[in-house]
Amino acid sequence: MNLVRDLLTLSIGLALATRLHAADLIAPELPIEQAVDHYVQTHLAERQVHPAPLADDGTLVRRTVLDLQGRIPTIAEAKKYIESTEPDKRLKLVDSLLASPDFSYQFRNQLDDLLMSGQKGNQNEWREYLLKSVRQNRTWDQMFRDMLIGNEEDPETKAATTFVRVRAKELDELTNETSTIFFGVNVSCAKCHDHPLVDDWKQDHYFGLASFFQRTYVTKKNVVAEKFTGEVKFKTTKGEDKVARLMFLTGTTVEEPVIEVSAEDRKKQDEEVKKQTQNDKAGPAPKPPFSPRAKLVEIALQSGNDQLFARAIVNRVWAMFLGRGLVHPLDQMHSGNSASHPELLDWLARDLISHKYDLQRLVRGIVLSQAYARSSEWSGSTASPAADLFAVALIRPLSPRQYSMSLRMASAAPETYKPESGGEEWPKRRDELERNCEGFAHQFEQPSENFQVGVDEALLFSNSSQVADDYLRDSSDRLIGAIRPETDKAKQITIAYWAAFTRPPSGEELAACEQFLDKRTEPVAGLRQMVWALLTSPELRFNH
Amino acid sequence: MAHTNSSFCGSPDHGVSRRGFLGTTVFAGATAFAANMRVMDALKNPCLAAELKRQQKSVILLWLGGGASQFETWDPKPGRLTGGPFRAISTDVPSVQISELLPKMAQRLKTTAIIRSLNTRNADHGGGTRLMETGRAMEQAVDYPDLGALIARELGRVDSQVPDYVSMYSETEGRHKGGAGFLGARYAPTFLTESMIPPNIRRPDSMTEIDHQERADLQKLLAKRFADKRYDPSVASHGMAYERVRGIMASEKLFDINLEPQSARDFYGPTQFQEQCLISRRLVEAGVPFVKVARAWWDSHGQNFETHLELCADLDQGMSALLDDLQQRGLLESTLVITLAEFGRTPHINASLGRDHFASAWSCTLSGCGIKGGAVYGKTDEDGQKVVDGEMKSGDLFATIFEALGIDHKKEYQLGARPIPIVDFGAKPAMEILA
Repeated sequence: MNLVRDLLTLSIGLALATRLHAADLIAPELPIEQAVDHYVQTHLAERQVHPAPLADDGTLVRRTVLDLQGRIPTIAEAKKYIESTEPDKRLKLVDSLLASPDFSYQFRNQLDDLLMSGQKGNQNEWREYLLKSVRQNRTWDQMFRDMLIGNEEDPETKAATTFVRVRAKELDELTNETSTIFFGVNVSCAKCHDHPLVDDWKQDHYFGLASFFQRTYVTKKNVVAEKFTGEVKFKTTKGEDKVARLMFLTGTTVEEPVIEVSAEDRKKQDEEVKKQTQNDKAGPAPKPPFSPRAKLVEIALQSGNDQLFARAIVNRVWAMFLGRGLVHPLDQMHSGNSASHPELLDWLARDLISHKYDLQRLVRGIVLSQAYARSSEWSGSTASPAADLFAVALIRPLSPRQYSMSLRMASAAPETYKPESGGEEWPKRRDELERNCEGFAHQFEQPSENFQVGVDEALLFSNSSQVADDYLRDSSDRLIGAIRPETDKAKQITIAYWAAFTRPPSGEELAACEQFLDKRTEPVAGLRQMVWALLTSPELRFNH
Repeated sequence: MAHTNSSFCGSPDHGVSRRGFLGTTVFAGATAFAANMRVMDALKNPCLAAELKRQQKSVILLWLGGGASQFETWDPKPGRLTGGPFRAISTDVPSVQISELLPKMAQRLKTTAIIRSLNTRNADHGGGTRLMETGRAMEQAVDYPDLGALIARELGRVDSQVPDYVSMYSETEGRHKGGAGFLGARYAPTFLTESMIPPNIRRPDSMTEIDHQERADLQKLLAKRFADKRYDPSVASHGMAYERVRGIMASEKLFDINLEPQSARDFYGPTQFQEQCLISRRLVEAGVPFVKVARAWWDSHGQNFETHLELCADLDQGMSALLDDLQQRGLLESTLVITLAEFGRTPHINASLGRDHFASAWSCTLSGCGIKGGAVYGKTDEDGQKVVDGEMKSGDLFATIFEALGIDHKKEYQLGARPIPIVDFGAKPAMEILA
């Protein structure tokens, strides 16, 4: 086993021990955005780094609408914000976006990407569960309970346990993905060996965590159930055979209560379980008196142990909106990889716990901060500052759904979508939009660390009939059809710029486009080519 | 985030524009592909010469999807209960015999090394495929790239105007795109399934050549304003992807075998696999570093012998034509041709005269570049039940492949804080079959 250098330093005990005392943090009553800015600014000042200025109104409304609604803003939405002179317009914008029907779709999609990315299959019920949870602002600890130990007889929580159901066949996958998603710790390396450098991270931790899932199985009727017995055995690096204890990542262990069962009853139990896995006409799955999975949920949320759970989701939500975690990478929250802003992470985790894991409150605070609102342009003479300073907004690739919906809206006639109109019409349209964009979204890669655009995507845009016949159609419901009757080229170009980029063209851009259009012999074809050049811009591909 | 760039030698003395490269923040050292003319200028640099030489090498992977039988191909056991009805025949290498189902290859073994000692332990189609594609077992923590992406990354030419990983998989059995994993979409395959040309490679009929070009020029001009003030490798990759479009489109003709003289087409033969072997030669000749040609339906749980009678004839003709053609063109010494599958087939012949999945003692071959032709590596017992000499795992095979191409098998990528070796931990190349 020469994995030495490749191991993650996984020392949860140490990580917790080095955390600051709560008393050292700034006041808990402060609004989240103020705490964020306090810590980020202090950090910058200590390093004498001057951050980028705040983004202009157009850029900021676009960024915020993309983040909170999952699509670009319409021209009307954007202009309303830009033209407003109210001093608290940003606050009002964020609150109205959070209250809109679009937010529930977008945040649902973000949670879905977090929880189910890489999992195949039609998961309509699961996505409905998430949507409903966001609409009710179901707290993160409650969702965690639903997903891990939801009642299989209640259709709603049964949809939530899809999280376990799709992973139950592979113990390693269920163990490691639960650990990375909910606790920010990728434990898979500790499967083969103890950590060579940090004493408190052992194979016991990996197999200890796996033990909570060892008895989990899915019945023939597709119900998540648990067996009466079963333990994880493993071979240590020294070659001894060992039975894992139920052990959480912090080292907390659980003793299974001893229940006397006769050999005959044990046999009956085993037969019942076997029947459950083979027969789709079997009755309800038996519920053993001891549930290791329920025990895991209980321990993980216990005061003290809950730090992992809270810090992991804080870090993930931060990364959703700022483009990078306070701890980076997101699955390596351990003492060898400290946070860029440790006090801020502590403050936010404390705040989340004391506000009962209200994620939407956290989202609101982050989005209202100055750190979120900075320009992504760096025009200084010095090199662009390190990403973990959050001194300049980081560029984030759109998710496949965001991109697909934004393309649809950018290429539509400007009045087609009216989210600002309120009423009952818009939620229906939004739902349609969500569904209609699903197909095209599948053509794109899910953003990940080191995300790259491949040439397949560029070829798709360059040559597919899908793009030519749909986004670039010149019918009246499309952008091209809408600007076509306009006789003034500058006006055509300006509308197209607003539709695609939420801003007017610069003088240079206007000149370049005019020159391009002047050279075309067929005006409509020229417009289609120009709009294509806008739709394929990185300015639309990324959230900036 | 490192915003300054690297150069080929890793020396700051001849730095090339950050936009010339991608992934410099991810991987230490060289990242090899062209961005723009500034990079082309860098080619004049003497330090790049050695790098380029290495990069002219290519790989053609003949993937025998479903799992070909080692008994009916490279490791016959005539006269044994497990051996089946076919004979073993002599080859152009004294002392080496292969199945009579591969008579043409028997006359060309001097180009080829046989590995008879794969013990890969995973006899499941999905798991075995992932294992043999990436050279290691799946791991939750890391999304590993497959061989094609690794080769594209290592051997992709700086000035390439062609795709650098082409995968042809016309049959449906075991069809699997594979992928670039942590290397990123830049190294993902151009994947051909239903059509013999890559998707979206052809200009729409509704547009003229000049309009298509000028539209792209306008896009580039407008995109530049955005990209110039934003120092982000993902944004750079977007520009790079669009810049490659023209080159990739121009490579459409490489996929058109109608451009080959009839004599060449006759030489390869008429089957789809044989035609794709010809395409793979065209691609390699044009500088594509990795081509996979899949030939499926080897999963012969029933009627193993009839299946192999048919499929081996296809393989024998396509592969031997390919090797001859590469040799005649002087390309064989720079092209490594591999036959591989997800696993082999059982010694036991079942009641349907089939052989089932078997991963503990099976064979593959390496021909051409860097390979000691005629060599045989490893040995199975007389019934082909187990490996008795030179056991090789998937990682060892990958190490051998890399070394044959002049790529250091001890090379590491840097994934965040974690160094990832290019082959599995502890994997060693089979030096005995390297030239």
